Amino acid sequence: MSQSSAVQDFVANVQAPEGALASLAQEGQEGLDVLPVPTRKSERWKYSPITAMLAHPVALAPAPDGWPADVEPNPVPGLEAYRIVLVNGHVVPEACDLPVADGVVCMPWRHAVDEGHLANFDWSGYHRREWVGALHAAYVQDGMFLHVDKGVTLDRPVLVHHHTTGDHTAACPRHRIVVEDQAHAEVILWHSASSGATGMVNGVLEASLGAGARLGLDKVQHEEGEVFHLAHEHVTQGKDSTFRIHSMTVKGHWVRNELNVVQQGQGAHTIMHGAYLPKDREHVDNHTTMDHTVPNCTSSELYKGILYDRSTGVFNGKVFVRQEAQLTNAYQQNANIVADAGASINAKPELEIYADDVKCSHGCTVGQFDDEALFYLKSRGIGDKAARALMVQAFIGDVLEGMSQEEVAQEVETLLADRHGWS
Amino acid sequence: MLTIKNLHAQVEDTPILKGLNLEIGPGEVHAIMGPNGSGKSTLASVLAGREDYEVTRGSVDFCGADLLDMDASVRAREGLFLAFQYPVEIPGVSNLNFMKAAINGKREHQGLEPISAKDFLALVKEKSALVELAGRLRDRSVNEGFSGGEKKRNEIFQMAMLEPTLAILDETDSGLDIDALRIVSQGVNAMRDAGRSFLVITHYQRLLDHIVPDVVHVLSEGKIVKSGPKELALELEEKGYDWIKEPAV
Repeated sequence: MSQSSAVQDFVANVQAPEGALASLAQEGQEGLDVLPVPTRKSERWKYSPITAMLAHPVALAPAPDGWPADVEPNPVPGLEAYRIVLVNGHVVPEACDLPVADGVVCMPWRHAVDEGHLANFDWSGYHRREWVGALHAAYVQDGMFLHVDKGVTLDRPVLVHHHTTGDHTAACPRHRIVVEDQAHAEVILWHSASSGATGMVNGVLEASLGAGARLGLDKVQHEEGEVFHLAHEHVTQGKDSTFRIHSMTVKGHWVRNELNVVQQGQGAHTIMHGAYLPKDREHVDNHTTMDHTVPNCTSSELYKGILYDRSTGVFNGKVFVRQEAQLTNAYQQNANIVADAGASINAKPELEIYADDVKCSHGCTVGQFDDEALFYLKSRGIGDKAARALMVQAFIGDVLEGMSQEEVAQEVETLLADRHGWS
Repeated sequence: MLTIKNLHAQVEDTPILKGLNLEIGPGEVHAIMGPNGSGKSTLASVLAGREDYEVTRGSVDFCGADLLDMDASVRAREGLFLAFQYPVEIPGVSNLNFMKAAINGKREHQGLEPISAKDFLALVKEKSALVELAGRLRDRSVNEGFSGGEKKRNEIFQMAMLEPTLAILDETDSGLDIDALRIVSQGVNAMRDAGRSFLVITHYQRLLDHIVPDVVHVLSEGKIVKSGPKELALELEEKGYDWIKEPAV
């Protein structure tokens, strides 16, 4: 399938990477030629066409002149964390604070590639499957590489802060996390953008967990400007491992989060929680795939959304229980409040169960604020705005509470309160 | 304190209150009794400011101000309280945060600083003991997992916290066993004073054995058709409502 001229324009100015990444970039380039550009005609992109993104050509930004003075490298007050920070896909070394400890390798992803840490790595195949994945691979930049050795627990979380700035910027950050057997790491993925920023963030994160390993991700998207954000996370889990993600979309012009988790070892447990509160004409899409391939695993998925104004949302939660995956216990819940008449959500749970001795439950709700509860609060002297704020906080409270870093949860709540006038 | 004149109200297009008059003075306890469908709960809802009810005629003066002109939350801040017939469960909102927001809403209205954490907790301790709910509120969501009796006791707890000028009890006795009825009544009686009035809406006379009213009114087809001393309640218990519904001779 050939690209439209709009698409050619879109990527024309972008410079492809060289060196060790040339082959990945080459595969990406080839993918751009053969893979279809997502449109409404494709089921996976039906509610999130990228036409509006493609209307303006983007270009990779040059390496920045240091970290921008008006942005906090650590956006979370009180958070004690190691830090790796990026502007427009470029690591800014002087603003990083990398862990140095036995059994821990943490460095810019590009260095790790150069040093051969990813030499035998089986790239997740995203770039062979999806046009936007090919786009990412063709212009892949930098990110974090984190490797935690067997039995090692990272003493502090690592904050990965990506900031987008400028006009029609393309950023293609890529991260890789390896948590070996019985090791433990907590990572915070923070995305910010300057007001007035435009363009695309097209990021990939690949993580693998060994036997008994634990990895937690607190992911926060808080982007000003008009940035199209495509995120793809691919996680594989070994025996008895626990993977957790809390994905909070506080603000974002257009967001598509793809999260794929594959359980490859028995006894694995997965927690996928998220919340989204778009307003104005924002768009937030969460596409998740939970793949149970082996017996005796569990998963718990909970996504909650409140949609204001003329915003749109998508939740697509796919759960596979493969034939071998007996005694799976999978739970999925998606709850939405459409707060204003102009807002909408397309919610689609998809369960494909091939094993016969499993426990799978799922629920999906779309509703409005409970008028009776609102009246009850108001009848006690709580004003309309404060009453709605209490109910919103209650609604997303169980998602917020599960974040591992209290300071991050607190900051998310503060940002939401500012944004929605709760305070 | 409360003067209702010729009040007409409807839900959707069905008229329910059809010219209701009522005057409650400071410190008085008035009971409203009446058969199902007579408009008792509608009166409570209209006074508290529930949005589905439309007032088509008449006026309600509350302490010198036009009650009907106020939002539900303002009515509460001005000292009106409705104990719900069916208290609402609100998962995720803690009882204490809820009460704190309510108290601070009222204090802001009065130009006062928010209550200190220490004073708030002392107040909770004192008032929850009044309805034997001490220790049952902390760390729990509003009314969630409460039994029917606990919900009604929680209503009285909230009333005690907010110290209203006028409290409307909407069938607070419904669904209560005899012990809960005693606890709720004690809570109400402990709050009776010269400056606080009560409007007790009930179906049954038994509540009025515990909360003794100054005046009993009978509501029928959207109007008060008879008023009398507390003995009227006993008479109603004995004879039912039919004899009152007949046109007065």
